[in-house]
Amino acid sequence: PHELHMILLFGSLNLLCTGCLLMWCSSTNSMALTAYTYLTIFDLFSLITCLISSWVTMKKPSQLYSFGFERLEVLAVFASTVLVQLGALFILKERCVYPPTAHIGRLLVGTFVALFFNLLTLLSVRNKPFAYVSEAASSSWLQEHVADLSRSLCGIIPGLSSVLLPRMNPFVLINMAGALSLCITYMLIEINNYNAVDTASAVAIALMTFGTMYPMSVYSGKVLLQTTPSHIIGQLDKLLREVSTLDGVLEVRNEHFWTVGFGSLAGSAHVRIRRDANEQLVLAHVTNRLLPLVSTLTVQIFKDDWTRPLLTGTLTASSSPSGAALTSAEGYPAVSSSSVPPLMMSLGRELDPLTSTPYKPSSPPPEFSFDTPGRNVQPVVLPNPGHNTHRPYGGLGLTYGASPYTGMLNQGLARPSSSLGLGIYLKICGTFSRRCSISRMTTP
Amino acid sequence: MDEKYSSNVLSGGKLGMVEVPDSRLTRYIVLLVISKVLKALGIFESYDILKAVHIVQFIFILKLGSAVILLFFQKPFSSGKVISKRQWIKLIKHAVFSCIISLLGFFGLTLCGPLRTLLLFEHSDVVVIALLGVLFTSSGGGPSKTRGAAFFIIAVICLLLFDNDDLMAKMAEHPEGHHDSALTHFLYTAIAFLGVADHKGGVVLLVASLCLKVGFHTASRKLSVEIGGAKRLYALDNLVSSLVLLPWVVVLSVTTESKVDSWSSLILPFGMIIFSVMILEFYVEAICNTKMETLRCARYGTIALFLSALLLANFWTHPLTDQLRSMSKPPQQVSTEHVLSGGVLVSAIFFIMSSSILSSPSKKGQKGTLVGYSPEGTPLYNFMGDALQHTSQSLPRFIKDSLKQILEEYDSRQIFYFLCLNLAFTFVELFYGVWTNSLGLISDGFHMLFDCSALVLGLFAALMTRWKATRIFSYGYGRVEILSGFINGLFLMVIAFFVFVESVTRLLDPPNIDTDMLTPVSVGGLLVNLVGICAFSHAHSHGSKSCSSNDHGHSHHGHSHSEHSHGGHGHSHGGGGMNANMRGVFLHVLADTLGSVGVIISTILIQQFGWLIADPICSLFIATLIFLSVIPLLKDACEVLLLRTPPEHEKDLNSALEKIEKIEGVLSYRDPHFWRHSASVIAGTIHLQIMSDVVEQRIIQQVTAILKDAGVNNLSVQVEKEAYFQHMSGLSTGFHEVLAMTQQMESMKYLKDGTCIM
Repeated sequence: PHELHMILLFGSLNLLCTGCLLMWCSSTNSMALTAYTYLTIFDLFSLITCLISSWVTMKKPSQLYSFGFERLEVLAVFASTVLVQLGALFILKERCVYPPTAHIGRLLVGTFVALFFNLLTLLSVRNKPFAYVSEAASSSWLQEHVADLSRSLCGIIPGLSSVLLPRMNPFVLINMAGALSLCITYMLIEINNYNAVDTASAVAIALMTFGTMYPMSVYSGKVLLQTTPSHIIGQLDKLLREVSTLDGVLEVRNEHFWTVGFGSLAGSAHVRIRRDANEQLVLAHVTNRLLPLVSTLTVQIFKDDWTRPLLTGTLTASSSPSGAALTSAEGYPAVSSSSVPPLMMSLGRELDPLTSTPYKPSSPPPEFSFDTPGRNVQPVVLPNPGHNTHRPYGGLGLTYGASPYTGMLNQGLARPSSSLGLGIYLKICGTFSRRCSISRMTTP
Repeated sequence: MDEKYSSNVLSGGKLGMVEVPDSRLTRYIVLLVISKVLKALGIFESYDILKAVHIVQFIFILKLGSAVILLFFQKPFSSGKVISKRQWIKLIKHAVFSCIISLLGFFGLTLCGPLRTLLLFEHSDVVVIALLGVLFTSSGGGPSKTRGAAFFIIAVICLLLFDNDDLMAKMAEHPEGHHDSALTHFLYTAIAFLGVADHKGGVVLLVASLCLKVGFHTASRKLSVEIGGAKRLYALDNLVSSLVLLPWVVVLSVTTESKVDSWSSLILPFGMIIFSVMILEFYVEAICNTKMETLRCARYGTIALFLSALLLANFWTHPLTDQLRSMSKPPQQVSTEHVLSGGVLVSAIFFIMSSSILSSPSKKGQKGTLVGYSPEGTPLYNFMGDALQHTSQSLPRFIKDSLKQILEEYDSRQIFYFLCLNLAFTFVELFYGVWTNSLGLISDGFHMLFDCSALVLGLFAALMTRWKATRIFSYGYGRVEILSGFINGLFLMVIAFFVFVESVTRLLDPPNIDTDMLTPVSVGGLLVNLVGICAFSHAHSHGSKSCSSNDHGHSHHGHSHSEHSHGGHGHSHGGGGMNANMRGVFLHVLADTLGSVGVIISTILIQQFGWLIADPICSLFIATLIFLSVIPLLKDACEVLLLRTPPEHEKDLNSALEKIEKIEGVLSYRDPHFWRHSASVIAGTIHLQIMSDVVEQRIIQQVTAILKDAGVNNLSVQVEKEAYFQHMSGLSTGFHEVLAMTQQMESMKYLKDGTCIM
């Protein structure tokens, strides 16, 4: 409510200010002031966006808008930046068509009133969506030039580096630059009566508006287009590579990842697995990998040729020496009714030749497999939780879920750790060789 | 100090270019500055001489004089290798070009005066090449170079616009027909044809010849290597060009009588000019270029030249002119000639800044991609990528390819044809407007051009829609169409708003309108737009065949007017975001049509009844109509962009979900998300909980089939059994995650119990 009051207060102030400015615009006939007024109108839009974002936080996802209303924020940002750019386009067009002559009149007063109100609004209202976008979007040309200038200035006076070197807020920057160009216009018209300066300054303000707003509308437009944010791609690729080296996973395809609102990622992927892999276990591991990054995740597991009843089920069941393998048998009534504890991942390649999906011989050794220790506990054989088995399912859900794992932990650790050591060795090799290749690549 | 804050990693360390400190080069810098000051003096003097001596004679004397001196110093014939016949021909070509360039330069000098000539023409090659690089290539070299280029352009514009040189004096001095020769007369008429004042024409001429000069210098580098050194080439070039100019000078001096009475009094000034402009500057530049870097040489030289030119312009009192003029002309004009104005001062400052920025060594190295960090923690970059991936496509081929792409599909073809029609009409209007000097026509043409931007946007979106899916656009580019529809909708809103504001101000104070020209123009526009409406509404019926039956209710009120404008095209344009792009374009064309209709009606009313108020009322009405017709488009596009469950599939989806719940083995579902991604893709994700003894793949198959019937064609189904939750709770480490998982599992248990009882 406090924030709401603030927003409403500033909104009404803004309306007042805009009305005044528009009046002065028509009295001075100055196009540059009009262009600057549009920035004030943009502030009004940003206040509306702020209002929307506070409304959005209260609103829960409905059945029709199943992702919630966070995108409304993005849409508001996009619409307001595009509207301001269209306004700037209109200014440019008006310039081409009717070049009027400007009078001084209230030009300077208007400039300072607008600058004051804009800065007041910018600095006192906490505008979450715009703050996010202005930080996440690539910097505008105005920002780049200011950064370049201030960098060379810091070369002369190093003391200023703490003030000048951090990234400037684009809105403050454009307000200052616009006010500066209006002041120059005023001076030149006052002193030398150069009326053409008004045109030049209007064009300059319009161009600066374009420059400032364009990166933001590109950023929010990309969110609206359901694209994978490019700064996430590296992280995502790493995770997907990890997923594809999970034991049993053949490939990951149809991966779609995109942002719902500003920040939260949603996505879906299809994971093709070996016929004898356990779907639920792979699903759990894939989800576990991706969930920290992608909050709304859907993973579809699929197998090739699953309809063809394979003899291998019984065959491998009898032939597998450890008895710990065998997963694909689960689906078939004949086998599943048998009390073979299915579950764990197959131990891998050595009992593979009978499965129908070909194993990729060229693939690198799995960087991650369930036999290597990670943050996850050792894989173990679980007692089959069949649907009719009675379970001591107590009040504390924690114990039930975790106990088999912790209980079996010792067993798992007791297993000879040869594979474990190998895994670590391979990992070290891999990282080492990659580093080598990188440094080779960079040294010219 | 500067390097410390430089963004480049390489020059930040010790790898960058090492600059020699200034103190060691003081001798050369002083020499350079002195030569530049002398050159400025020489140019000022030659301006005065050029008033009396014909330009061709002047150049001939310069070339001949410097050739004599250079022959004495360089001895090009006695030393070096023998020049072959082919090289002589090349040399003659070279000399002809150099004559042309110096002719243009000195002609610019007579037009603009010495100060402006120095500012415009005497830029170093390095600066101009950097400028052109920024303007015409994408890899300019960072924001500072862009700023330098912008300063250069601003300086030229300052000279063009804000420098109120003594226009009237110049006009009085050079009335047409007073010119000495055919050449200058031709140049004057060319400048007069451009429609600018003399000194502005001179500015344009000088900028053009500056570019020519730089191109000429670059091209002659190969010849100088062939001949054997730049100095030898320069000596020979001066000789040959004076030979080339000789016949012309002879003809001139025979046909016209000279204005100069005593050539002997001119010997000293000519000697000074030849020494300072032609000889000294050339040698000093050559020395400095070898001793210092070219960039630094250019920086100091330009700054010295411009500053001395400014000082001279302030104090030069035309001593020679007075002395020469006293016999031929009344001297009262002299004092007002090419004075130092504010515009020149500003542009000189801008020129100095731009040349010092453009000639500073570029700190930004190549653009590298970060590949990782070295063990010490310094970033490692890969510089390979861009250079290899850039393959330039020839322009005609590019145009041909994109045309072929445009014409491939129905939508883009329609937009393209209409765009061509619209542009043709616009240009006819503009040309006719310029021809008859009618401001109304020109402004209407600009309006049309502005409206074309919406069409271009639509065309581009229609093209982009067909691009292949990439890593970033994982669903493909289909959604661009909806975004473009949304932007077009916003565009129309802005147009409606401006028309509204304009008409309100006119309502308060109705201006007098000249209606003569309006009717034919608006009828023409109406015809063009009617063609567009026919085409696009046909496109709509074409497009809506593919979609199933929708409710057409909501979009009717916006188009009721188009029914009376031409028989019955007021059908709906596909519901629910179906090709929002085409809808946006259509609405745009419709708004234009409405504008023309409004203009025609108000013109008739004004002409018949003299109701001036009809015009603002009409435009108010039009603004409201545009606004109302845009709202449904915006609403639909917003719904799609906000990932709403597509309204036309809502019922199907609900029944499909019910069906899914009834599949044998399915316990429940959660998180059903269905949304329209683009016109052709409806995506969906759903999580299913199933009993432990059911085959997941079978369930996936069934669910996919059911949802496909409901219209979802990009689906991901996550099938979860109880085992999944157990694994998840085992894998997750945090307490809260485990709690959430167990809660989910619990709910599943109860559901399962329910089904078990059933």
